[in-house]
Amino acid sequence: MNMLNPILARLKKMPRAALITIGLFVALGTFAPWLAPQDPSAQNLLEAGLGPMAAHWLGTDHLGRDTFSRLIIAANTSLVSVGSVLGIAMTIGIVLGTIAGYHRGWVDDLLMRIVDVGLSVPSLIISLAVIGIVGPGYWTMVLALALAWWPMSGRISRAVAVSIMSKPHIEALRVLGASPWRIYFGHLLPGTIGSVMVYATADAGTAALAVATLSFLGLGIQPPTPEWGQMLVDALPYLESDPRQVLLPGLALTAAVIGFNTLGESIALNRIPKPLTRRMLAARRLEVASWDKENSDA
Amino acid sequence: MRDEALLNVSNLTVNLLTAKSAVRPVDGVSYSVRQGECLAIVGESGSGKTVMNFAPLGLMPTGVTTMLSGSVKLEGRELIGLPEPEIQKLRGKSVGFIFQDPMSALNPVRRIGRQIAEMAELHLNMTPRAAEARALELVKLVGISDPVARLRQYPHELSGGLRQRIVIAIALAGEPKLLIADEPTTALDVTVQAQILRLLKDVQRRLDMAMVLITHDMGVVAGAADNIVVMYAARAAECGPVDKVLVSPRHPYTRGLINAIPRREDPIGSEFRGLPGIPPTLGAPIKGCALAPRCELAVPACSNSRPPLVRSDDSSVLVACPVVNQGKAAA
Amino acid sequence: MIHFISKRLKHSLVLLFMASLVCFTLVVSAPGNVAVLIAELRGAVATPGYVEQVAEEIGLHKPLLMRYVDWLGDAVRGDFGISYRTGTDVSADLANRMFVTGTLIVGSAAIATLISLALGFLGAFWPYKLPDRVSRGLALLGASTPTFFVGALMIYGFSVTFQLLPSFGFNGPKSWILPWLTVAVLPAAVLSRVVRVGLEEAMTSPFVLTAKSKGLGRTAILFREALPNITPLFINALGTQVGLMTATAIIVEPLFAWQGLGDYFLAGVRFRDFMVVQACLLIFLTFFIVVNLIVDLAVLLTDPRIRRQWS
Repeated sequence: MNMLNPILARLKKMPRAALITIGLFVALGTFAPWLAPQDPSAQNLLEAGLGPMAAHWLGTDHLGRDTFSRLIIAANTSLVSVGSVLGIAMTIGIVLGTIAGYHRGWVDDLLMRIVDVGLSVPSLIISLAVIGIVGPGYWTMVLALALAWWPMSGRISRAVAVSIMSKPHIEALRVLGASPWRIYFGHLLPGTIGSVMVYATADAGTAALAVATLSFLGLGIQPPTPEWGQMLVDALPYLESDPRQVLLPGLALTAAVIGFNTLGESIALNRIPKPLTRRMLAARRLEVASWDKENSDA
Repeated sequence: MRDEALLNVSNLTVNLLTAKSAVRPVDGVSYSVRQGECLAIVGESGSGKTVMNFAPLGLMPTGVTTMLSGSVKLEGRELIGLPEPEIQKLRGKSVGFIFQDPMSALNPVRRIGRQIAEMAELHLNMTPRAAEARALELVKLVGISDPVARLRQYPHELSGGLRQRIVIAIALAGEPKLLIADEPTTALDVTVQAQILRLLKDVQRRLDMAMVLITHDMGVVAGAADNIVVMYAARAAECGPVDKVLVSPRHPYTRGLINAIPRREDPIGSEFRGLPGIPPTLGAPIKGCALAPRCELAVPACSNSRPPLVRSDDSSVLVACPVVNQGKAAA
Repeated sequence: MIHFISKRLKHSLVLLFMASLVCFTLVVSAPGNVAVLIAELRGAVATPGYVEQVAEEIGLHKPLLMRYVDWLGDAVRGDFGISYRTGTDVSADLANRMFVTGTLIVGSAAIATLISLALGFLGAFWPYKLPDRVSRGLALLGASTPTFFVGALMIYGFSVTFQLLPSFGFNGPKSWILPWLTVAVLPAAVLSRVVRVGLEEAMTSPFVLTAKSKGLGRTAILFREALPNITPLFINALGTQVGLMTATAIIVEPLFAWQGLGDYFLAGVRFRDFMVVQACLLIFLTFFIVVNLIVDLAVLLTDPRIRRQWS
């Protein structure tokens, strides 16, 4: 359970609006197949490009598919791909990062040099280069993005691992003769996973953006599976006549990313003292006033 | 005009409100400084001595709301209630400040010459060229060798002692009447401390300024100050002329402080004579005498009500201790 | 100083060498027989004889080291080979496209710098007041909106609805504005936070208390004391953002029908035109290395503390 505690402790401090947005995104994504009122891929050219109506709450696209259903299923597509990308990237990052943090020395130097290079090249370029060599496809996209994403979690887990290793209780364990395996699996790994997961969640917004961007470029999620970026590019030729089909997926994606980014900003340590809110100021003034009263009573 | 105090503080109370708590670091303190005079304010860290001098002049960190009451008069002008733009005009012009840590008090990416010269431009309406000349003059005044080269350097290229001299030069640049020095020697090497103190004393005398010297070092007080205020837990414990207070301290806290200074006749390896216990953390004001838990003279009555400052027999020293003052009327 | 520059230059050269290795291995390690791919792309039937002929033509039979040396030698002289798909000279395509992408990045970087400084200062001047909240909200929105969506909105707003600006093509300043703005949104948002947070952090430093004690006002302290302190930080962040703009260019150039490097790279990826992917990748990596070098030198000029370390 010591893995979950830091996560729960931090959840309490996070902005509520961001948590609600993310909760909505995750819930929609998870239960999408049961929530979508219609088959997202059912075409009906007779009903193409309709506006909102009772049968199609948000209208239909140029092939007559129900936009509302497609938007919901797209949340599922996005959630699954982002989950896979972050899952793979975090696994690589945590394994390499903790090894670097545990071992230090040249292993650390080499891994961190690779991480530095990986972080200095935009993730889109890394993933496109991989796709360009291997050829497009769902798993190519996931692997290409994971390849672009692991250096971030690698750097964070290395930093966390180093700080854990320098704590006195690890030193004590070592003196007591605990095996390296026990230190690694019993103390270092669980401690690192907990902290890295919080950061990774905040990074999910950028990952969702990347999935959508690759799909927008036609190199990520392939039709007919609905995905926000791909829905947007599909509707782009009809921008003039039916802008709604461009706006809706764009807004859905933006909302999800805003949620994750707000979360990320609140996680990034804010060491700067903030001025008091008006309510706190009033409370403090009351406190001070009570001192004077006590003194005059005395 | 010499008899009229330049700075007259009476019954000053400061409350600081932060996001976490409300504290009262200064609780009803009075003192005054005349032109050409040096007042030492002594106390442990956290006794409120810095806040007392900085808060009325609007020098508090961001994120803290300051509530002031009482009276602070500078050249007869009331500072409490004065709007910030007015106080801003006084800072640098009428009052110069010297800070504890010269390592962080200077802007690391600006040349020293500019940091001094901008004072002259701001307060003496000088042209940039004249201000540069003035900066050179000041750097010479504070006794820095190779002044021309120093002006072109950046703070990190100088030692702590030199930087503190620069800070002093900045404080003097606006030709202030009052100098407030907050632990000016604490962050410096022991060998440099005496030089800086001598310099401060020297410029104070030459420019005939008033000076408030905030310190926790009794040695500094003895060498530099005319009068002294001993602070303990937001309140003044004892005040009066240095020669009287240091020679015959009355308040148990002052006595403890002076007694804690190692003496020459102490045998090698003898124990330090510190005050037992630790000072109270700042928060709500303490009902009785704040020193009572640490005081060897304490009687139950000490914790009942706040001890008033009482004038002593020879009339120049004020002491706030009910036991010492037994039978005397409040001043 | 000179010591630092020469050391930094050597570091960049090592990085360049590593970048060339990465580009080369990426293509060599591509799955499938490149010769078959080329034969098929050329539209001919891939008979074993023809494949063999292609393999001979592109030097597949030489040892790897020889191929690397040949390739690097050509690349250094500006010869990136022939596109597998179109058969045209890659270098000739590159020259023109670099100018297009250069225009995009320079313009966007300038716009992003101006907007971010304005927004950041607005926020730092009235912290936690309305202007700060607006600037913070805009930054969050700008950092969260996908670039392709920004582009679509720009086209819809400025070209479709109001018909003020052309939505495609690279013909003169008027056609540059929308792509510039589209690319500038994300870096402007990120950099405005850098300025805002950096200024606020600088404003809590002890030297600001000194500045206040001098009688300086808030405006003077912000500009004279805090701004020089965040310059190195800003240059660093701007460098990162300019690097990221190459990625944004890949999205934005096709959207506005600009024939730049991003568009070229994307086409190369789509049609698995290895020579194009390789050439573009090498140019991108070189660009990052050069930008980083310039950033380090610029920081050296703006931060006397670092200058001191190396002199």
